[in-house]
Amino acid sequence: MSIFRSEEHVRQWIRAHDYQMGAVVPLSQVWRLARAWYNDPRSASWRPRTRDESQAVLASVGLTGDFWELRR
Amino acid sequence: MATPLTREPAIDPVALRVFVYDETLARGRPPSSAVIGARFDTSPREARRALASLNIGKTVLVDPRSGEIWMAGPFSAVASAYRVVSGSRDWWANCAWDMFGVSMIANERVLIETRCTDCAEPMTIACDPAVEPSDDAVVHFLLPASHWYDDIGFT
Repeated sequence: MSIFRSEEHVRQWIRAHDYQMGAVVPLSQVWRLARAWYNDPRSASWRPRTRDESQAVLASVGLTGDFWELRR
Repeated sequence: MATPLTREPAIDPVALRVFVYDETLARGRPPSSAVIGARFDTSPREARRALASLNIGKTVLVDPRSGEIWMAGPFSAVASAYRVVSGSRDWWANCAWDMFGVSMIANERVLIETRCTDCAEPMTIACDPAVEPSDDAVVHFLLPASHWYDDIGFT
């Protein structure tokens, strides 16, 4: 997950490296994803999420569809 | 006469996880096995064994050669393209998603120093864990979610 100044810069980088385009997400949405995803692991009650819980976090910030489907 | 086996004390996994993150937040980098061993009154070897068997998904990953912590999500043990700064402390984040994760776990306003992946233009992003950023920048997810954990370093 790499940062770019704009979607145009993503396209230039994709062309330069002959990669396939993935998903371009606004910084504000990635911030919401991080806020929903990261709980403080110093809490004694912390535990790793299940696959379905992680999928629900992605959906909660609008990341839905085939590209965002975690492996079962 | 048989030599008695000396058994080193096992490290409680919850206490280990808490220590790893306390140390990372305070010092900027995950602790070495020597530091972990000293904290839990055991050897670096036992510390590496305990790290390897933490079994908390992809949250704490060790370098398979050295046994030392490689990443303690969202923190990286090695320098990356995402430096997160708060006052006199700084951390390395694994990626553009994790740079915000550092701010969330530290629960602090931070400055993120990075560069555009395409043109290498320096970028500084202010992150407040309570205020959504308004920067125009974007994040590119190269791999679909089903492949994120195939090669976590590449991802």
